[in-house]
Amino acid sequence: MGDYVWFHDVSWHASYAVYFFVIGILAGLSFMSYGSWITPALRPLREKAAYGSIALLALGGVLLIADLSQPLRFLNILNPGYLNFSSPLAWGALNIVAFAVASVLYIMALQKGDEAKGKLLALVTALLALGLPVYTGFDLTVHQSRPVWNSPIIPVLFVAMAIASGSAVGSLLAMGNEEAQKVLRQYMLWSAGAVAVMLVSVMGTTNYGGSAAELTFMIMTTGTMGLLFIGVGFLAGSVAPAVLLFAPMGKSQAVLMVSALLILVGGAALRYVLLMAPQQLQTLF
Amino acid sequence: MSEELRVSPIETRGVTGKRRFAMVVDTRRCIGCMACQVACKAEYDTPLGVNRTWVPYKVVGKYPTVKKQFLPRLCNHCDDAPCVRNCPVEATFKVEDGGFILQRYERCIGCRSCMAACPYNARFMLPSHRSYTPITNVVDKCTFCFHRVTQNLVPACVQTCIGRSRVFGDINDPKSEVSYLVATNSTQVLRPEEGTKPHVFYIGADRNATEFGRDAYRQPEVMEQERSAFKRNFKI
Repeated sequence: MGDYVWFHDVSWHASYAVYFFVIGILAGLSFMSYGSWITPALRPLREKAAYGSIALLALGGVLLIADLSQPLRFLNILNPGYLNFSSPLAWGALNIVAFAVASVLYIMALQKGDEAKGKLLALVTALLALGLPVYTGFDLTVHQSRPVWNSPIIPVLFVAMAIASGSAVGSLLAMGNEEAQKVLRQYMLWSAGAVAVMLVSVMGTTNYGGSAAELTFMIMTTGTMGLLFIGVGFLAGSVAPAVLLFAPMGKSQAVLMVSALLILVGGAALRYVLLMAPQQLQTLF
Repeated sequence: MSEELRVSPIETRGVTGKRRFAMVVDTRRCIGCMACQVACKAEYDTPLGVNRTWVPYKVVGKYPTVKKQFLPRLCNHCDDAPCVRNCPVEATFKVEDGGFILQRYERCIGCRSCMAACPYNARFMLPSHRSYTPITNVVDKCTFCFHRVTQNLVPACVQTCIGRSRVFGDINDPKSEVSYLVATNSTQVLRPEEGTKPHVFYIGADRNATEFGRDAYRQPEVMEQERSAFKRNFKI
């Protein structure tokens, strides 16, 4: 006992995982809102997704600022004299601000009914929204000493999870609309499948890494995070919805709703485990 | 040769005219008296439960031939420090002449990105309440006693080390004691695979102490009790 120092705590707590979850959903909703300009079946989602996205951005912003131990200094990150562009947090902050501005302009164009400007701003908003899961992924990826995090697939995984979560929320918002559900089923099916494949890939790489990577694999599979990661995140949140949606009964409303809920619960669990498990080991070094 | 090993422009290995302070810890001479830890606490009033330097140990062997292996730890003041790269507001920076990795408390936003980046777990969050200083709720770490070294003194932990286990000096100076020790002994650094090029060199460090063991998977319950008690009382 007492072999290692144990008071040096994990750096990022669960609130950061909630932030990841919220930012994933809002990015996904932005994609849906832009998709409504390309795919007419998604038209009923256009305003709902845009409003939902900006509401979640407000929540995410509060979470992010509250997570700082010096919340009143959050403006430091936007101070050009302080900005350090080698940190993904710096350009992530700029991305969030740009996304917020574009979202407000987009909603104003929607309210005015300006179709041309609306379509353009929807595209800009969606592109900036793509930056949100990418930057949160890079937030983790740049930490060279962390198993799982330090993998090029993490930003891509976060984008896939954003599409899955966004289309799941979109599916719940468009309940009863068969045309929209048909498109959203495809989004959920392929994004949940992609998440499952990427998780297998992440796990395979981690298990064959160095001793820290191997121990993290053990923590995530048979250790304290096993049930949450394998049970809730991987099996219930990625594999099960992909199988359910792929099956012949996958087109029914009930299956769609169950799959959407599973994707959301699984997405939350995955983000929590991906954030916390690689930190758990580090506190013991 | 030295120049060829530099990867990042931030590194000062072998740069003429630039000092590169390093510490050599001879674990064969460490008796685990914790005087370094106490000296550091006294120098900086580091709060209870967090440490700029600490001396973890492992009990190895089988009774009756057991012994404690000590591994004094501190910030490694890496030549290519990941915490410097990751700080979004440049609150963490490197002093080019000397290689100190320091923290601007007034600029730190407390995002803990530097803590996540450090492979050595050498950074910590200062608690929300302290008795003698208003520096709270920001990330802190060892400074290699920058304020002492710039006055031609050695760090407090080196000054107090009773076994002369810790030796400090400019490793870019071939005549310094640290250069001599590194050149004439087999030395180890912690987690060399991370490419951080640490400036803390160990002599006689055992792999039992420097590598992750299986203990990490089966975390002793007593650690969790201590950890949660600390978190409950310090709100970090």
